[in-house]
Formats: sequence, structure tokens, C-alpha cells
Amino acid sequence: MTSTAQRTRPLAWALVGPTLALLVAFNVFPLVYNIASSFTNAELIGGEWRSVGGANYARVFEDELFAGALRRTALFVLCAVTLELLLGFALALSLQRGVPGKQAVLTVLLVPMMLSPAVMGLYWNLVLNGNYGVVNQALSGLGFDPPQWLTDRDLKFWSILLIDVWMWTPFMMLIALAGLNAIPASIYEAAQIDRARPWKVFTRITLPMCAPVLGLAVLFRATDALKQFDLVMAVTGPNDAATQTLSTLLYQVVFRDGSVGLGAAFSCVILVLVIALATVFTRYIDRLQSKDVLA
Amino acid sequence: MKWLRWFVVALYLVVATAPLVWMGLSSLKERADTISPHAKFLPTAEAPSDPTSPSFEATFEAYRELSVVHAGAQQSFWGHLGSSVLIGLVSTLASVALGTCCAYGFSRFRLPGAKDWLFFVLSTRFLPPLAVVVPVLIMYRTLDLQGTHVGLIVLYTVFNLSLAVWLMKGFLDEIPRAFEEAALVDGYTRGQAFVRVVLPEARTGMAVTAVFCLISSWNEYGFAMTLNSSGAVTVPAYFAGLQGNIEGMPWPQIAAGALVFVAPIVLFTVLVRENLLRGMTFGTIKQ
Repeated sequence: MTSTAQRTRPLAWALVGPTLALLVAFNVFPLVYNIASSFTNAELIGGEWRSVGGANYARVFEDELFAGALRRTALFVLCAVTLELLLGFALALSLQRGVPGKQAVLTVLLVPMMLSPAVMGLYWNLVLNGNYGVVNQALSGLGFDPPQWLTDRDLKFWSILLIDVWMWTPFMMLIALAGLNAIPASIYEAAQIDRARPWKVFTRITLPMCAPVLGLAVLFRATDALKQFDLVMAVTGPNDAATQTLSTLLYQVVFRDGSVGLGAAFSCVILVLVIALATVFTRYIDRLQSKDVLA
Repeated sequence: MKWLRWFVVALYLVVATAPLVWMGLSSLKERADTISPHAKFLPTAEAPSDPTSPSFEATFEAYRELSVVHAGAQQSFWGHLGSSVLIGLVSTLASVALGTCCAYGFSRFRLPGAKDWLFFVLSTRFLPPLAVVVPVLIMYRTLDLQGTHVGLIVLYTVFNLSLAVWLMKGFLDEIPRAFEEAALVDGYTRGQAFVRVVLPEARTGMAVTAVFCLISSWNEYGFAMTLNSSGAVTVPAYFAGLQGNIEGMPWPQIAAGALVFVAPIVLFTVLVRENLLRGMTFGTIKQ
């Protein structure tokens, strides 16, 4: 046994080696570079690096711009995940008990999540346009005062959220459906024999048994929404105080202002957040897998 | 209750598809009809005499104009679609090849720290592209890869490895080891057993993995717009670049192009529908 293990080990490393090497190279190099340049005045175009000590970090922590983007992103993640979860779960419950043409309906419902957010976001500009957008024409036809979805300071953040909900509710629905389908029918039958009320069945059986996969769904969406970039760029661009997220502010700082050093310091702060979330995420998957919840 | 259920689903079906249906209608319009203050939703063969009418004259002009090069762009839509296809296909092939080998290594051999490595692979997916793009840009400037197809192909290959490894590991774990062991007894080497026995069994898994890698490169925007803003521009970056166009947004062409661009994705969604959940969750949920 030992001899086979020793013989096959070089082969095993040859199989996994190239992939791991590429991933390390493309993740460790940027990390080192970001840490190094975050203490300098590095610019996008030319110029020598000069050390500025912790000045960039001081700005990241003091300038309201960065705190604002962080708050806005947190709000975005929270609202997007909650709305998508509730809507998706409601849809999954409706679908699971059967509707005519279930498979076809399900496939059609899933289409939005597969599409390019950048392209669809751009297109939503036409649909939600304040003057000639079809949504506002329908609203004024129904007698409502049509809002300026994309230009109203207080509204555009929520319009972007709306597009995100349109794109990603199907994902939550799909996962919730898997959770619902995994509950054995025998448990429901037992509850029926005990004459449990529907609400009790929902809170005592359906919800707790779906919870592990729903947790996974929330983590997947949260890590994704944290990166929110494409939709904001498509709807308002990177330099809009009402919609700036972590990623779009980073774009603004580095590519419009050219401040690579400041951007690097900001990246490092974001990275700490991302690593914290990734740790929670991977531990959660590990726990579910070792308990065989996902099999 | 049954009616309520059907109503909820029907309502959301409308919400999910309406923007795409509107896109289809817009692609058949003249520009004036796309921004008319009177919504136009009935395509007809002739122009209506009343400008407030909900009908509009259907035309395929927008599809023909996809070959027009717009102000500020270097290529027509088709040129950019070509870049998207080339970058998507090559990076997908590379990701699936590398990912399958790596997943096989983790699936069949005991490697020290295997679990940590696998979670490291997964967590690379959490990084916001914008947080790593500057170092990559500097690296690409030195290697002369900025604005090239090769640059994005390499980047997307790496970016999709986490997906490919995790998905393929799930699929390979499901292939019984007895198959290879029988082959080894028959005198195959490990390599031969992998190529002739395991790979044919993993065909479906590789196809599903390929579809998900392709979709994620196809839709990617953050790296595409920052690294390839002036050469080998993919469709999402090209469309975004039309914003603020001095001629006004060419809505019919955008709708036509977007439709052409998303059509293959819709087709793929239908093809892999049984594995959609698996693909979207990196194989952590197997259904």
C-alpha cells in the first residue's frame, strides 16, 4: 500500500499542480503587489513610487466616500439577499405543489440569472427611462405619477436593486426548490396523521428542513452581491454618490483618478472583508458536506 | 390555494419574460419608435398613420445595422461577438482540461492538505475582480498582453478554474473506482485508465462544466472593460462603451445585438437545465 502511494504521489501532484500554481500566481501576486503599493503614492500612468506611510489607509478610514460605499454595499447585499430569498421561496413553494407545464415554466423562470448583467443592465435603461420607458408609460396609463427611476437621487439605488432582484430571484427559487424536494413525503404524511395545522407543518417541518440549503443560497448570493459592479456601471456609472458600491468606487479611484496607491489600500481593506466572508462560507460548506446534508 | 399558487407563478412568469419580450419588439423598431412617448407594442407591416397608435412598422434594419461601426468603437457588433466567441471557447477548453486533471487528482489520490487546497480554490472565486485588476494590468503591460485575446483567455481560464475543479470533482467522485481498478488489473497504466476509462464516463460532467465556464466568460465585464478597453473588446464591454454615445443610444441595434448575444445562453440554459443547480452552486448541491 505504502509503495503504491509513493509511486502515485508524483502523478497526483502533476495532476493538481498546474491548476494550483496558476491560482496561487494570480492571487498571491496581486495580493503582494497591493500590499506593497498601498503604502506608496503609485499612479496608474508612470511615475516613481514614493512611500507615504499609512496615509492611504488613513484616508480610507477617514474619508466619508469609503464609509459611504461600504454602507451602501452592505445595504445592497442585505436587501438583495432578503428580497430574493423571500420571493424565491414563495415561488418555490408555489411551483413545488405542481403547476401546469412545470418543467417548461421552471426553465423559462431561470433564464434571467444566466444573462450578462452588463448587457441586461444597459438594456434596463431603456425599460426604466423616466420619459419614454415602457414601465412609466404603463404606470401613467394606470393613473400613477411616474417616478424617475434612473435619475432621482433617492430612487436610483433601489432601481438597481430591482434589476438585481429580477436577475437573481430565480437562483434562490432553484435552491429553495431543491430543499423542498429533498424533504421526504413520509414526514408530511406523519404530520397529516397527527393532524398538524398547515402553518405548524410549515414552521416545524418545511422551514427547518430547508434551512441548510437556504443558508448556502444566502451565502452564495451575499458573496456575489458584495462584488456588485456591472449593474451600477450600466445604470449610473462609477461616480454617482447615490449608488457607489465598493467595486465601482474602486474603479473610480484607480481608473478615473489614477490613484493606484489609494486604490490598493482600499483593496486590502475590502480583501479583509472578503476573506472573512469566504471563511464563514467555506466552513459552512464543509459542515454541510461532512454531515451529508447536500448529498 | 391552487389558484393562488398558479397566479403567483403566472405573475412572475410575466415579470421574468417581459423585459426579454420587450427587447425582441425593440429590435424590430426604428430608433424613433423605441423612444416614442407612446409605447409601441404591436408590430405591423405598414407604418401607422396615427403617431399615438400602439402599433409600429416592423423592420429588420437593426439586425442589418449590427455590421455598422459606431462612433468611438473600432469594430462592428459582429467583430466584438467574434472576440467573445474566441475568448469564451478557448478559455473554456483550457479550464475544463486543467480543472478535470486537478479534480481527478483530488478525487482519487490522498494529497496532504487536500481539503485546504480545495477550499483555497473555491475562495479565489470570492475576490472582486476590481480588487486584483491593477496588479494584473501591470503584469499584462509588461508582458504586452493588455488588449489581446490571449490576455483575457488566460485570465478567464484562471478565473473559471474554481468552478471547473469543484464541479468536476463532484462528477468524478460519482464514477466508481472499480472501473479504473479493473483497467489497472488489465494492464493499463494510471494514465491510460484515466484517458480511456474515466474520461469517457465523465463526458456529461465535462459538458456541463464547459457550459458553465463558457457562460461565465461570456458574461464577464469587470476584467473585460478594464484590461481590454481598446483591443479584443468583448460584447459586454463594447455595449457598455456605447453609453454616452453622441449620436444617442442606438436602442434598436442594442436590442438586436443583446438578443443575438443572449440567445446562445438561453439555448444552453435549456440544454443543461437538469444540472443548473449543480452548476450554479459549484457542485455543492447535487441534484
